[in-house]
Amino acid sequence: MKISYFLSYKIIILIIILSGCSNNSITVSEKMDPFEKMNRKVFTFNKKVDEKFISPISSTYEREIPASTRKAIRNHIDWLDTPSTIINSSLQIDLKNTILASAKFMLNGLTLGFYDLDKGETAFKKKDIGSTLAKYNVPEGPFLMIPLIGPKTSREFTGTILNTNIMSNISSAPLNDLRLLEAPLNAIDTRSKLSKTIDNIYESPDPYIKLRSFYIQNRRNNVYGKKYINLKNKEIDAEFEKLLE
Amino acid sequence: MQNLKNYWNKFKYILLLASILFSPVFTYNSYSDDLQQGDKIIEEMIAEAQKHALETIELSSEERSKKITPLINKYINLDFMAKATTGSFWKKATDDQKIKYKLVLLHQIVNTIEDHLNTLATMSYKPLSSELRGKKLVYVRGIIEDRKKNNPPINLLWKLSKGKDETFSILDLEIEGISLIRSHKSETTSILRKNKGDFDFLIEKLKIKK
Repeated sequence: MKISYFLSYKIIILIIILSGCSNNSITVSEKMDPFEKMNRKVFTFNKKVDEKFISPISSTYEREIPASTRKAIRNHIDWLDTPSTIINSSLQIDLKNTILASAKFMLNGLTLGFYDLDKGETAFKKKDIGSTLAKYNVPEGPFLMIPLIGPKTSREFTGTILNTNIMSNISSAPLNDLRLLEAPLNAIDTRSKLSKTIDNIYESPDPYIKLRSFYIQNRRNNVYGKKYINLKNKEIDAEFEKLLE
Repeated sequence: MQNLKNYWNKFKYILLLASILFSPVFTYNSYSDDLQQGDKIIEEMIAEAQKHALETIELSSEERSKKITPLINKYINLDFMAKATTGSFWKKATDDQKIKYKLVLLHQIVNTIEDHLNTLATMSYKPLSSELRGKKLVYVRGIIEDRKKNNPPINLLWKLSKGKDETFSILDLEIEGISLIRSHKSETTSILRKNKGDFDFLIEKLKIKK
């Protein structure tokens, strides 16, 4: 146990150092990929694992399990993730999100999250440690492709490790066991939810680049929100107007 | 004669005042016309695509693609998209390469839309807002929702511009904040950069995956 903690903290320190190598600006280029060679190898490995195991299981899951049951499972997985949003919203001093997420967590706790009792009325933003690190100006860091996990920036990967450690320390043992047991189900459900997008990525001329572009755009939109979107749109507008001349 | 001059001077001031007072109204009207036109184009296109999806449901994907090509070509600005997705490499391409690239790009767009036609047919589109951006652009925001509420709604942002013929065409589409032009550009420029700007190689690569 102690060795795993020691190793995980070593990894976190290494990643934070790597993050320091990068630009902290939100307009930073998407081409920020110093480990592209290694990342491509990991991407090929992940793609093979996906095509051989995850994709077939996820297709069967989508075919055999009714949409309403899949929705209940998705709700439950989201509910299990809500404590992380509550903690990170507090750390980011986002009071509204903290209250909304807490209220929804308690309400849907009556059904263990399987059924959304307020029928989507209470909408809150999902937050994780990666977004908290971004809030406190930790640089995004280089793009990484992690075996069996997928794309991450070094900051988000640090966040994922910290999140797992923190959640396992503050949650009760049964909830931790449940989270561990449901990890494969989460992977299958996520794969089925993103099946069209992933197939579209695999069919593209350079799937690695497409995945990197999709991931970075999506992650930045979620982490930086309106500030990033406005800045990005201003830049794109200027580029488009120039091309239209 | 002096009276006439006085009248003219007064009339000049009235004209000046009126133009100052009413110019924002005229500008506003033209802005709001552009916004309405932008919204209308998107709604028309979605309705046509949904109708097409239902009418061609029993055809093969190849036949479906063939049938939807003119519809897509009618609404998008292919010249702009070709330039925007190749960046500075566009200027180095020959005329023949430019024509070929535009064709493969159109096929790619058609194939992507064809893949999602059945999903589009089962969902409902709701316009949210539209906004004028700079001198030439209009943003149209909308949302597509699953009628059975089994899937979360998807946010869409269409970027349009007015052409010389005063009609609007689509420059880019962002799905949940992910720009299709930006993603395609990262891919094409990466291929071009690794192959010393060889456009023929890019065209072949896009054809293979088509």
